[in-house]
Amino acid sequence: MQFNFIPNDIPLPIPTGGLEAVDVVLTVLLVVAWLVHILFINVLLGASTGSVYFNKRGARENNPVFDRVAYLLTTPVTVCENMGALWGVAPLLLVSVMFTPLFYAATIMNSPQWLHIIYGNIAAFLLSYLYKYTWHKLEHRKSLHLAIGTAAVALFLTLPLVFMATVQLYLTPTTWTGNTHFWDALFRADTFFRLVHFYLASFAVTGLFMMIYGTAKRKSDDEVTRQAGDVLVNTGKSWFLLPTLLNLFAGPLVLFQFPSYGIENFFNAGWFWLIILGVAAILGAAYLTVKDFFNPELSKGKLWSIVGLAFVTVLSMATLRHGMRLSLTSEAMAQAKTQSDEFVARSKTASDEAKTAPKAVAVATVSAGEAAAGKQGCLACHAVDQKLVGPAYKEVAKRGYTEQQIVDLIYTPKPSNWPDFAVPMPPQTQVPKAEAALIAQWISGLK
Amino acid sequence: MFDFPIFAMPLFGHRFIFAFDAIVHVFVSHAAVGGSIVLALAQYFAIKNNDRKFDELTYKILFTLFILATAVGALTGIGIWVHVNIINPAAIGALLRVFFWKWFVEWIVFNVEMILLLMFFLTWKSKPIGTPAKAGHFKLVVGYAVASWLTMAIITAILGFQMTPGNWLASEFPAKPDYLASLMNPSWLPSLGFRTFFAIIWASAGAIALSWFYGGDDLETREKGIRFFSKILYLSIIPMLGFGYWYYLQFPQAAKDLFVLGVITRRLAANPQLAVQVTLGLVTLVVVSSAYLFLRPKKAPMLAALALILGSGALIGEFERVREFVRKPYIIYGYMYANGIRVQDMPLLNKEGYLKQAVFLPPELRQITPENKVKVGEYLYLFECRYCHTVNGINSVKTRVKGWDEPTIYHRIGQLNSPATPYMPPFAGTDEERAALAAYLVTLNADSKN
Ligand code: HEC
Ligand code: HEC
Repeated sequence: MQFNFIPNDIPLPIPTGGLEAVDVVLTVLLVVAWLVHILFINVLLGASTGSVYFNKRGARENNPVFDRVAYLLTTPVTVCENMGALWGVAPLLLVSVMFTPLFYAATIMNSPQWLHIIYGNIAAFLLSYLYKYTWHKLEHRKSLHLAIGTAAVALFLTLPLVFMATVQLYLTPTTWTGNTHFWDALFRADTFFRLVHFYLASFAVTGLFMMIYGTAKRKSDDEVTRQAGDVLVNTGKSWFLLPTLLNLFAGPLVLFQFPSYGIENFFNAGWFWLIILGVAAILGAAYLTVKDFFNPELSKGKLWSIVGLAFVTVLSMATLRHGMRLSLTSEAMAQAKTQSDEFVARSKTASDEAKTAPKAVAVATVSAGEAAAGKQGCLACHAVDQKLVGPAYKEVAKRGYTEQQIVDLIYTPKPSNWPDFAVPMPPQTQVPKAEAALIAQWISGLK
Repeated sequence: MFDFPIFAMPLFGHRFIFAFDAIVHVFVSHAAVGGSIVLALAQYFAIKNNDRKFDELTYKILFTLFILATAVGALTGIGIWVHVNIINPAAIGALLRVFFWKWFVEWIVFNVEMILLLMFFLTWKSKPIGTPAKAGHFKLVVGYAVASWLTMAIITAILGFQMTPGNWLASEFPAKPDYLASLMNPSWLPSLGFRTFFAIIWASAGAIALSWFYGGDDLETREKGIRFFSKILYLSIIPMLGFGYWYYLQFPQAAKDLFVLGVITRRLAANPQLAVQVTLGLVTLVVVSSAYLFLRPKKAPMLAALALILGSGALIGEFERVREFVRKPYIIYGYMYANGIRVQDMPLLNKEGYLKQAVFLPPELRQITPENKVKVGEYLYLFECRYCHTVNGINSVKTRVKGWDEPTIYHRIGQLNSPATPYMPPFAGTDEERAALAAYLVTLNADSKN
C-alpha cells in the first residue's frame, strides 16, 4: 500500500525507553482513558439534553417533580463537562505521540474549525453554568432560562461533529488529497454513520446513568427528590433501550464504511470476535431491561447486572476500536517511519559535508568599517554602489554628512531624507558605538 | 518534520491566534494557581477566627474562581496545545516526545486538582463554618493548592526548556534526548519561583478587587478582605523580584539583547527608554492603587480596584510578550526555528532544496519552471514565513517589501537572520528556491499598485 500524502514522523524517539512493555502500557492507557472520556461525554450530552427536556415539561405541566429531575441532572453535567474535558487530554496526548504524523495532519486539514473544540466548548461551559446558577433567579422567566439551557445543549452537540470529522480523517489517509478540508471530512458517509452511532450511544449510556442515579435518589429524605428518582429510573429504561436497538443497525454501517484494506486487516487479525462479544452482552442487558420494563421496582441486583453487561459491551467496543485504528493506520505509520529515516540519513550526510567543507577564507583587503557593516547587518539592505533596500553607500557619501551625522543616522534614521524609499530604515540599535564610528568613517570615505 | 498540510490564518496570522488563547490562559491559570494558595490562606484565617462573614466572602471569590478556572482556564490550557498543534506541529511533536511522561504526570496531578476543586466547591454549602466538618473540608483546599502548584511546576519546565534547553541533546543524528537534563534545564527553578510569586500577587490583586465588589455595603468585610489580601500581595513582591533576577540571568545573551525590542515594537526602537517608562508606569499604577486600597479600604473608589487589576494584568502581559519575543528566531532554542525547521537540517535543505522534502506540495511544483516560479514561491512563503507573517494583515509581508524590486528582495531574503533582524530564521533552500520566493514576493508589490 503506497500513500500519496504522508508526513514524516517526528525525528525523536517515542519515549518508551525501547521497551515493548511500555508500548503495551501506552495502548492500554489509550483504550482506557479514551473510554472514560467518552462515557463522561455521553452522560454530558444526554444529561444536559435531559435537563432541558424535563425543565420544559415541568414548566408546561406545572409539575415540581419534573423540575426537580431537571435540576438534579445539572450536577452530573457539571461533573461530566469538567471530567470529560480532563479525560480527553490523555487520549489527545497519547494519540498525538503514537500517531503523530496522521493525527496532526488531520487536525491541520480541519483547521481553523478544529479550534471549535476549544472556543465552542468554553461558550458551552459558560452557558451551562449560567443555566445552572440562575435556576432559582429565573424561576419566573422560564422561557429565558430554557433558551439558555437549549443554547448550551446545542453547542455541546456540535462538538462531536468536529471531533468525528478529525478522527475519521486521521484514520483514513487514503482519502487525503493535497487539498482536503474540514467540510469534505464532515460530509462523508463514514463520518455521518459514526456520528449517528455516537449520538445514539450517548443517550443509551445516559439511560443507564439515569437508572443508577435515580436509584440513589430514591433513598433521599425529600419526598420530591424521591419521586424524581422514580422518574429517572423509568426514563432511564427507555433511554437505554431505544437507542441501543437502533445502534444494532447503525453499528454495521459504521464498520463497512471503512476502506476495504482496513476491514480486511481487522478481520484477519481476529478483532471481529469482540463485536460478537459486545453484541451478545448488550442483547443480554436489553433483555433484562425489557423484562422489568413495567416493573417500577428495579432491584439492585438487576440494575447492576444490566450495567455490568453493558459495560462488557462498552469495553469490547473500545478495544475493537483500537483494533480498527491499528488495522487502518499501521501501513501508513510504517511509511512515515521509512520516509523520516531516509530524511534523517540524508540530513546527516549533508550536515557532515557542511562541517568538513573548507571555510571560505576572508578577504584580507576589507577595511574595518566595511567588515563592521557586514557584521552588523547593514549589508542586508545596503551595497556600496547599488541601490537595494536602502540607498547605495556611495550615494550616501555624496550627501557630505560628517561622520558624527552618519553615526546619528544609524541610530535615528531620517526617512524624509530619502523620499523614494517606501520602507524606512529601522533604527539599528544593535550597533555598538565604536563600530558605528568605524562604519561612518568607511561610508564617508567612499567616492 | 515540517512537511504537514498547510493551514494559513488569513489577516490575523498564526502568532495572533496563538497569542489570543495563550494570553487568556496566562491570566486565568495564574489566577487559579495563585488563587488556590490565596484561598487556602483565607480559609485558614476564617476558620481560625470563626469569622462567618469572611467565610462568605471567600466563597464568593471561590465561585468566581471556579467558573473561570474550569470553563476558561482548563480549556484554554488544552487550547494552547491544540493551537500549537495546528500552527507548529513539528515543535509540539518534538516537545511531546521529550516531555511525554512529565506531561502524563502533570495530567494525573491535574486530575487530583480538578477532583479536589469539584469536591471543595460542590460540598461547601454542606460543611458550614463552625461545624467540625469544616476542618475536613479545609483539607480539600490545601490539597487543591498543592496539586495546582505542581501542575504549574511541570508546565514551567517545558516553557523553560524552550528558552534554555541546556545540554539536552545526547546525540544529533539520530536525535536522542537526555530526559533528565531537559527537565532540569537552567531556567526551570528560577522561572518556577518567579511564576509562583507573580501568580500569588495576581490572584491577590484579583481577590482585593473582588472583596471590593462583593463586600458591597458591608464596609467592615470589605476592609477585612482588602487588608488581608493586600498583605499577601506585599509579602510576595520581594521573593518575586529575587527569583525574577535569577531567571533573567539564565537567558542567552542574544535573547537578553532583544528584551527592549520585546517591550516596544521596532518602529519605536529609536527610543529604548520607552520600554523602561512603560514598565515603571505600570508598576506605579499598581503601587499607588494598592496603597490607596490598603490605607483607605472603605473610601477607595471602584476605579482603584480596576486600576490594580489593569496594572498588574498589563505587567503580566508584558512579561509573557517579552518572553515569547526574545526566544525568536527559535521555538526550541538552538534546536528548532520558529517555522519548524531544525537547525541541524539546514545543510540538507540548502543542498537539496526545501521543495524536495515537502510532502503536501502539489507534485507538479516540485520542479521549478519559469511558468510555475511564482506559485512555487508562494508555497515557499507558506512553508517558511507564514509562522510570523501574513500577506495582508498582521506583520504583513506585503508592506515589508513595499517598493523593493526583485533583485533587492532576492538580496534581502538571503540575509534574513542578519543582526539587523536577528529574530528571523534564515531562509532555507537552494538559490533557485530563493529566487522563486523573491519572484512571488515582488508580485505583492504589483498588486498594491493596482
Ligand atoms: C532593513 C534594511 C536596512 C538595514 C538593515 C540598514 N539600512 Fe540603512 N537605510 C535603509 C533605508 C531604506 C534607507 C533610506 C530611507 C531611510 O533613511 O529611512 C537607509 C538609509 C541609510 C543611510 C542614509 C541616511 C540619510 O538619512 O541620509 C545611512 C547612513 C544608512 N542607511 C546606514 C546604515 C547602516 C550603517 C546600517 C547598519 C548598521 C544600515 N543602514 C542598515 C535600510 C536599511
Ligand atoms: C520568527 C518569526 C519570523 C519568520 C519565520 C519570518 N519573519 Fe520576517 N520578520 C519577522 C519580524 C518580527 C519582522 C519585523 C517586523 C517589524 O518591522 O516590526 C520581520 C521583518 C521582515 C522583513 C522586513 C525586513 C526589514 O529589515 O525591513 C522582511 C522582508 C521579511 N520579514 C521577510 C520574511 C520572509 C521572506 C520570511 C520567510 C522566509 C520571513 N520573513 C520569516 C519575523 C519573522
